[in-house]
Amino acid sequence: MLRHLLGFDVMRRLLWMSGKPGPLRDYYAVDYATLDTPWPEVEFLAIDLETTGLDPRHHEILSVGFAPVHAGGVRLGQARHFLVRPTRPIPEETAVIHGLLDDHLESAPPLAEVLPHVLRAMAGRVPLAHFSTVEQRFLSFACKRVYGQPMVVPYVDTLRLEHRAQERQQQAVVQGALRLHAARERYGLPRYKAHNAMMDAIAAGELFLAQVAHMDTKKPPRLDEVCQG
Amino acid sequence: MDVELIEIRDFIAAYHPFDMLPTEALDTVASNLESRYIRKGRPLIEPGDTVDHVFIVRTGALETRDPANELLARTGEGETVGTITLLRGGPAHNTILAIEDSLLYALPAETFHDLRKRHKQFSYFFQPLGGERLRTGRAVSNQGHGRLDLMAVHLGDMLRRAPVTIAPDATIHAAAARMAEEGVSCLLIPGEEKLIGIITERDLRNRVVAKALPYETPVSAVMTTNPVYLTTDDYLFDAMLLMSRHNIRHLPVLREGALAGVITTTNLVQAQNTSAVYLVGDLYKRDTPEGMRDSLSMVPELILQLVETGASAHTIGHMISTLSDAATVRLMALAEQTLGPPPVPFVWLAAGSQGRHEQTARSDQDNCLVLDDSYNPEKHGEYFRAFTRMVCDGLNICGYVYCPGEVMAMTDQWRQPLKTWKSYFAKWIDQPEPKALMHASVFFDMRPIFGNHGLFHDLRAFVLKKTQGKKIFLAYLASNALSRQPPLGFFRNLVLIRGGEHDNTLDLKHRGIVPIVDLARVYALDAGAEAVNTLDRLEIARDKGSVSKDGAADLRDAWDFISTMRLRHQALHIREGKKANNYVSPELLSNFERTQLKDAFSVVKTMQGALATAYQTGRM
Repeated sequence: MLRHLLGFDVMRRLLWMSGKPGPLRDYYAVDYATLDTPWPEVEFLAIDLETTGLDPRHHEILSVGFAPVHAGGVRLGQARHFLVRPTRPIPEETAVIHGLLDDHLESAPPLAEVLPHVLRAMAGRVPLAHFSTVEQRFLSFACKRVYGQPMVVPYVDTLRLEHRAQERQQQAVVQGALRLHAARERYGLPRYKAHNAMMDAIAAGELFLAQVAHMDTKKPPRLDEVCQG
Repeated sequence: MDVELIEIRDFIAAYHPFDMLPTEALDTVASNLESRYIRKGRPLIEPGDTVDHVFIVRTGALETRDPANELLARTGEGETVGTITLLRGGPAHNTILAIEDSLLYALPAETFHDLRKRHKQFSYFFQPLGGERLRTGRAVSNQGHGRLDLMAVHLGDMLRRAPVTIAPDATIHAAAARMAEEGVSCLLIPGEEKLIGIITERDLRNRVVAKALPYETPVSAVMTTNPVYLTTDDYLFDAMLLMSRHNIRHLPVLREGALAGVITTTNLVQAQNTSAVYLVGDLYKRDTPEGMRDSLSMVPELILQLVETGASAHTIGHMISTLSDAATVRLMALAEQTLGPPPVPFVWLAAGSQGRHEQTARSDQDNCLVLDDSYNPEKHGEYFRAFTRMVCDGLNICGYVYCPGEVMAMTDQWRQPLKTWKSYFAKWIDQPEPKALMHASVFFDMRPIFGNHGLFHDLRAFVLKKTQGKKIFLAYLASNALSRQPPLGFFRNLVLIRGGEHDNTLDLKHRGIVPIVDLARVYALDAGAEAVNTLDRLEIARDKGSVSKDGAADLRDAWDFISTMRLRHQALHIREGKKANNYVSPELLSNFERTQLKDAFSVVKTMQGALATAYQTGRM
């Protein structure tokens, strides 16, 4: 993992050097904390996307929500939520899940306008998501499309952390037990009723705090330790 | 604030005191919050920590312990910690740790202080003590009734001007001139050490002009000598009763033995709620217990009125007890009419809640009779047996039902000469077994209603001398006082009665009021105080140092809050045509009232803990 993460650093440097001036290059200009930094000192950004599906080549981002996590706290006041205008009508089943309606989204800005806000928030921060593959792929794909370069950054994945935690406790991981709300319940976290990208980002951020609190380490775990789970 | 934080804002808004903030302020709160997670068993704040946030519990529970590891508070969902340190400034003194995995919303100190500055009711809530919170809570809920609370007003506060006096040897002409000059309707005549007389306009008319006395007649010849008076510490209500009973319009008021002023009927016209006074007058006109029952049937309505006008529980208890006193006195007068004058001196004592001036809508009778030591059972026994029987039966007819514990003057046991009473108390104090303690708690709250007060003073002096500093007896009494605990659970939740007639309710009397009354009794006896009223006892005990100043103030507020809640509950029952009781369902209380009730109960719990420590009751 360590080597893998070092690889991220080299990649990011290359992308910064070769990038065109713009939001993505600005993003690469700011480094996040080194891997040996104790986690309370690391700036994280809990992030959640709502999408029409799982494949960035065929599906679209509908909304982005994020909330900074730092010094053991999720900063609710700095949490933000952006709707994204899709290029195609959204499938009905997706609308039902997210409660997003076409007319809400019609007045929303296109992805190219939302992305700079997201990149500014992500600069210098380690992103954190529940099942981060979705965020990682969709954001990278969006950057490639809008700025011509991918987004290369390691994610903290609370789903993976949860999987490891359950393995460590030698519990059989039952289906659905790793879902955000099921995982939160195990840590005594409240069930937030709202289902939108921002509340889910906050929910993932809080889950992360709980997971770290339950890691049995003498000193506060370092960034590489929380990345690994 | 991002609109999507509504869910968090709404959570905060559901809890007191955040429920008192306007929506914009709540938005400010939500957008300054930070979620924090703390694992069970881990400290949130430790002694010496700098506290720069307050923490609202979203899920889980915390507890606060002092450096000696004494549990101070438990905090659950929707409640806030860290405020005391933040308000006091400086590092934390106590440890706050999670007793469950907890999610907290941290609110920065600056935002918290800013909210306090802008929103008065919010800042009142975060006073350092639970008791303090209760006081202000009551102030809010009593807002706007705007009426004089007769028991809350001391006569000293009613005096408008210095008393106008005249010498006893001055002429009545000079007296009339002085009244005209000063624009007053009465003059006081001070002697060398005490007040010797009063002369009023009415005296000038009835005793001077109507009798055609010469203008040179000295004031001393027509004045009322040795007039009744009260002191600046007495209540307006006492003045009203005294003036009504004696049919006088001017009442001198003394402060520490010196003349302070005069209360007149004009002062009283401003004061309201005179119904109790009229009711007393009405009782004195009745010739049968049935007739008295009819006038007393007004009592529930009176309580309703008083509760609605925002009268304090103290006032109401005083008024209701005074009516019981009047009924008792009237019954004794009727008994004397039938049986003739008593053969030896006696004093009728009220015990229990009537003795303490704390009766409510639902009270039975607790009384006893102390006879002069010249009492001879063979010669006088029959008279007093019949006399007490008539009075107790009469009280029962009036609605003060027979005492289930038989604490009544009509029983042979509680109708005894002074020397027997002294031996009773001596035995209770020297051999404090459970039954003795039960009797002690009833009879230590006695108050003379009618008869020879000297007998009572003699007995009380004997008892106080015997109890004061008698640590072993006091320790037993303290232990007894701790037998009823407030209904607070482990998580500071309200513990309800389960099953039976009063399923899912709280017994406000036995679990709230009685524990405070018991505490006050121990403090008062420790201090050798004569007072029997719970609030008076707390005040005196505080002055004499047998309870801390803050402790006394907190208990006073807790008593006041729980008693007022009970009266309101009873008044509502009466209005619905039900029988008044002491069982309140927390579901019918507002969130605010529940918080206050928990505060009141935790005050009681804290003070019980302190008493247990002081008397080492654990050793018994």
